[in-house]
Amino acid sequence: MAEYVYDRQQMSEGLAAIIAGNSSDAAREWLQQRLQKAASIPQFNQTFTAVPRFTGKNIIVVSPEQAAVLQQQVPGFFVHGWTLDRLIRAWWLLQLDTSDKAVYLDTIEKLFLSAEMNELAALYSALPLLAWPEEWKLRTAEGVRSNIGVVQEAIMLQNPYPARYLDEPAWNQLVMKAIFTDKPLHLISGLDERRNTALAAILTDFAHERWAAGRKVSPMQWRLLTTFITADNMADLTRVWHSADQTEKAAAALVFANTDYAPAKTLLASDPALTAEIQSGALSWDVIAAKLSQN
Amino acid sequence: MCGIHELTEKDLQPLTYTPAYLDKIKGMRFFDPHVHMTSRTTDDYQAMADAGVVALIEPAFWLGQPRTGVDTFRDYFNSILGWERFRASQFGIKHYCTIGLNSKEANNEALAEAVMEILPQFIYKEGVVGVGEIGFDDQTPLEEKYYRAQLELAKEAGLPVQIHTPHRDKKKGTQRSMDIAIEHGLAPHMVIVDHNNEETVKEVLDRGFWAAFTIYPFTKMGNERMVEIVKQYGSERIMVNSAADWGISDPLAVPKTAALMHESGIDLNDIHLVTYINAVKAFAQSGQINEADFDLAGNIDQREKFNGSTVLRGGQQPRINKNTTIIR
Repeated sequence: MAEYVYDRQQMSEGLAAIIAGNSSDAAREWLQQRLQKAASIPQFNQTFTAVPRFTGKNIIVVSPEQAAVLQQQVPGFFVHGWTLDRLIRAWWLLQLDTSDKAVYLDTIEKLFLSAEMNELAALYSALPLLAWPEEWKLRTAEGVRSNIGVVQEAIMLQNPYPARYLDEPAWNQLVMKAIFTDKPLHLISGLDERRNTALAAILTDFAHERWAAGRKVSPMQWRLLTTFITADNMADLTRVWHSADQTEKAAAALVFANTDYAPAKTLLASDPALTAEIQSGALSWDVIAAKLSQN
Repeated sequence: MCGIHELTEKDLQPLTYTPAYLDKIKGMRFFDPHVHMTSRTTDDYQAMADAGVVALIEPAFWLGQPRTGVDTFRDYFNSILGWERFRASQFGIKHYCTIGLNSKEANNEALAEAVMEILPQFIYKEGVVGVGEIGFDDQTPLEEKYYRAQLELAKEAGLPVQIHTPHRDKKKGTQRSMDIAIEHGLAPHMVIVDHNNEETVKEVLDRGFWAAFTIYPFTKMGNERMVEIVKQYGSERIMVNSAADWGISDPLAVPKTAALMHESGIDLNDIHLVTYINAVKAFAQSGQINEADFDLAGNIDQREKFNGSTVLRGGQQPRINKNTTIIR
């Protein structure tokens, strides 16, 4: 397998251009100096750690053209909203020598092992950029077990790596953890593409558990049942449809709008106003997500 | 942590039940520059936030029993840089730490060597505001060896040093700690000498070091004594901490001492210096403390906007009314 699944040089230059537009002369000078020592592993590690001390942590500004360069190399790879230190750390990882695979893997793994929160977030958000992408599956599954919000978010949100590389149980675990920890599900890359029967079953079980405890179920989670409606889970969706909460009903309607399951179609047709809203685009999952984030 | 809850700003407001001493320090903000939160419960963070603690420092220390390998040190350092910091942030408290090999465990030479090897990887990390707590416990040659080695690390990194002074033979241990720091070229203003008492304070201040006091029942300093010390020595270069850990200790020691000082007629400005400003100043010499971050940490709504999404809500624990017997 190839080291990189994209053109490393172009990605590195694309990131460097964004760094150049967001950093001070002093920070760039420091990075240049450090680059000369990057071949030494201890120096490489020290630089990775020390980045924010010398570059600051401002939120970066990315032009659409700059973003397009990254997207062209790795579809779905976003740096929007990142801090400068995270961006530089991702770029720095691309400067690590890959001539010896074992050394490369060992170095990155050790960075994970002694990383603090922001370093972990940087490492996990750089997953789509790492060489030998297949090698980071276990590490990613480990990261999903983190209790730390920023770390979870780095893996779960707007990161194309998990959808592309995680196997089904690990992927489902990621989605469930995101639900447990109240993450904005619509920001999970590949959420719809990786819907599956097992996940649909886990989610209905989970809903029963929540309802039995007198707790609420996130309307967003029903999105994952789209195309997996059966006689078994139709009862649950019918319950959501009849909910007094309008957002819950809207979620059920969206699920029904995208299924071929006849009883669901019939229910949806019983509310022409809601059907029209969906058809006109006035109601979508993004609209529901926006509503939920206001609560 | 599990479960979807409807968390609102209201859940994050202070509890309605207010102990009497909190009235005396209403609106004041505190910095506890020495507290081992890894040994404390989440309830303590909640109580500290309610009492006005906006930031704290967690010095690397002993866990009550010796560690058996370098990996457990690595995990410990990771946890005070990671999980603890995150846990504190859930209550709007900014969490910093100091990193070092503590004096007790310096006596296991093979292990100490292995820890020294990984220390450089940790002291440059974000939010590491010093090398600490280091110094003497039993005042053995090995303790001295690793104390000196860590002073050199601190000097190279430009970081302040946080010194633990011994329980036994304290006066001599404190003097030796300062002598050795000077010998290694550290300026007194870069050294915070901790666990002072009536016997050590004068010399520490006279020599230009920072004098920290630990309010800790039975073994260290009581806060009535602390009031007397501030009355006698003033507020310059003096700071108060709780050093709360797995022992019988009080994570509210700083706000409680402030309340007692206020009750005893000590000037509000002096209280502010010894319970907040001085510690911020001393450890900000690391370049790692920005007071504006305290406000950011305290205002959760702002922080959400800062991160560009609502995700911080995810890990937040709903606040619970502890006066009710019902648990939901």
